[in-house]
Amino acid sequence: MKFIAPSNELLQHLLTVNGAIMSKPLIPILENFLFDIRGGQLTIYSTDLETSMTTNMAVESKEDLRVAVPSKMAIETLRALPDQPVTFNVDNNNFGIEVVSNKGHYKMAGLDGVDFPNLPEKSGDGSFAVPANVLLRAISKTLFAAGNDELRLNLTGLYVELMNDSVNFVATDANKLVRFTRKDLKPGVEHSFIIPKKPLNLLKTALPNDDTPVSVDYNKTNVFFTFGNTQLICRLLDEKYPDYKAVIPLENPNVLTVSRGDFLSSINRISIFASKTTHQVRLKITGSELQISAEDIEMANEAQERMNCEFEGEDMEIGFNARFLKDMLATIDGDQVQVRLSAPNRAGLLVPVENEKDEDITMLIMPMMLNNY
Amino acid sequence: MDRKIVHIDLDTFFVSVERLINPALNGKPVLVGGSSDRGVVAACSYEARAFGIHSAMPMKMARQLCPEAILVRGDTAEYSKFSNNITEIIHENVPVYEKTSIDEFYIDFTGMDRFFGCYKIATELRQKIMKETGLPISFAMSTNKTVSKVGTGEAKPNGQKEILAGGEKEFLAPLSIRKIPMVGTKTYQLLRGMGVLWIKTLQEMPCELMQQVLGDNGNLLWRKANGIDNSPVIPYSERKSISTERTFDKDTIDIKGLKGVMTGMTEKLAYQLRNENKLTACVTVKIRYSDFNTFTMQACIPYTSLDHVLIEKVNGLFDKLYQKRMLIRLVGIKFSHLVQGSHQFDMFEDNVEQIQLYHAMDKLRKRYGRDAVSRAVGMDYKMYGMNPFNGKESIK
Repeated sequence: MKFIAPSNELLQHLLTVNGAIMSKPLIPILENFLFDIRGGQLTIYSTDLETSMTTNMAVESKEDLRVAVPSKMAIETLRALPDQPVTFNVDNNNFGIEVVSNKGHYKMAGLDGVDFPNLPEKSGDGSFAVPANVLLRAISKTLFAAGNDELRLNLTGLYVELMNDSVNFVATDANKLVRFTRKDLKPGVEHSFIIPKKPLNLLKTALPNDDTPVSVDYNKTNVFFTFGNTQLICRLLDEKYPDYKAVIPLENPNVLTVSRGDFLSSINRISIFASKTTHQVRLKITGSELQISAEDIEMANEAQERMNCEFEGEDMEIGFNARFLKDMLATIDGDQVQVRLSAPNRAGLLVPVENEKDEDITMLIMPMMLNNY
Repeated sequence: MDRKIVHIDLDTFFVSVERLINPALNGKPVLVGGSSDRGVVAACSYEARAFGIHSAMPMKMARQLCPEAILVRGDTAEYSKFSNNITEIIHENVPVYEKTSIDEFYIDFTGMDRFFGCYKIATELRQKIMKETGLPISFAMSTNKTVSKVGTGEAKPNGQKEILAGGEKEFLAPLSIRKIPMVGTKTYQLLRGMGVLWIKTLQEMPCELMQQVLGDNGNLLWRKANGIDNSPVIPYSERKSISTERTFDKDTIDIKGLKGVMTGMTEKLAYQLRNENKLTACVTVKIRYSDFNTFTMQACIPYTSLDHVLIEKVNGLFDKLYQKRMLIRLVGIKFSHLVQGSHQFDMFEDNVEQIQLYHAMDKLRKRYGRDAVSRAVGMDYKMYGMNPFNGKESIK
């Protein structure tokens, strides 16, 4: 059995789906791509059993074929070749694969494609469409806030909450939370699921940054993202998401408005002097002055800066983890941001002064206990 | 360049302080420690040592060995005060020092030779401390910490000693292996079983053999026996853990009561954490059964200083650890992996009211003392000011 494909195009397709392959998987065959050719159409599969990706392209082939191809070796070989048509000869008996280029031929050991696990059937309970760039934006605005703690598995993913006329994307690690709402997405039903981090990171690299429509199909166990000729399938986290709405304060009367860039660069400088384990910085707001300070008693480091701000409310002092503030300020849009506070031991909100069209972004940050209040 | 390390140790520190307060104790056998049946000797005078008494010996046994010894309850606050005075004198006079316990210091005089002569400065420092505090003190100087510490032991009571560079091995050779700081009862017995009694024998043994018998510690011990120790004098070390333990007057199997005591202990330690603006990430529970078999178990947790999280963890560890259905003699709790910092609120688990309650309780304690307020189950537990096993002050 054999087929012929342009080396560069094939390489691009392999790279698109390569991310789903684990290094050193428990089942050795998962280190391979599955090449499935039917009627001149090559479909490439990769999977780690949690996340799977597929893509397809046209190749020259007279017969159907199903073989597992070692991923690393295939990619390295194609990458090292100048663009040209390459021929793959597959031995029917031992699934040895011979790649023939105009320079010579290269042999590697393949495996019988029959042993490759089957992909989940695409059977959606529901679906909605979202432009690729909107989905990209939703992922990049939220995913940083998701947790890493395996004891709180439900917080390690992105919570997608479908409503009749909008979609909420929520991520939190219990110390910080981001809710990103798109009002132009109208799934028409109410439903929710949690997508783990890894497939979202894969999506981030695989999605084109334009308005290519992405079809999102979901059922109880899986979600399917289909765009162009690529598909990403991932298993959902079978966990209950906490009632995040209950922790978002409605009334935070003390409103601080500052330049995002200035605030961020100030935090960047001050945090160098904060404790390396807790990253605590202290914000002290008096009138229209914001004082940012940090100290590391063990290392005898300390720093303090002052900046102008607009502030409505009572003077207050509150402690935050500088890394959280940095991540949030770097992610949020707009020149001006608002920090809405109520008390030194209650959640603070970070919001842009002006939201983009059809969008609403709310970031929540839990304070650190200051020992002097 | 050879280093110049001085080890300073106050002679029978607790006893000396007591004698300063009450000169009638001079020249008599004195015991410091708890007087109950379960008390142990925290310190004893040289007169008492003549009767075979040593520190950490059960008080009951000590009383039997020397019925005429005068028993003093001990006053940690007073000892701390003297210790701090001495620390201050040392701090003013030397470049680098390390305080390893309430009455022990290491000083690094390396490089001071050119100016004054290290041994001379050390002698003057000793005179100064004796003059200003009135306490007897001994020191030894050598090229490293181990040899200096052993040297101080040899210089006592109230003496001083210099072990010159190159003479370390020779100095250690005729001494008992007991004198090496690392050798405790277990190691001593093991080595005696092997027929090793003098450090000289250790020096002559191949290092590989020690490694085989004692693992990495064997290697370290061999190096120490040969007078090799490169550990530096660490100027100031942040407290790495806080702990407390309680020996019961009578061995007990009352689990409810035990848990009450442990709740009390945890509360007090947690208050101390918050008071010093620290968080812990590792909890250890220790129990000692009536047959003196001791077991510990530890667990790592996210950084915290909150009572309810810690109490739950401590109870969980205790339940896992307490398997033998046997009388318990002692329970202990330790928090380690401490970092400077304050609590990061968790939006789902923390309850603002609860944290405000801790805050209010801490305020009460700050004002009216550590025992001013506590959970009812732990009310019986009052923390002692001193850990009678190592004589170190445990809590301010």
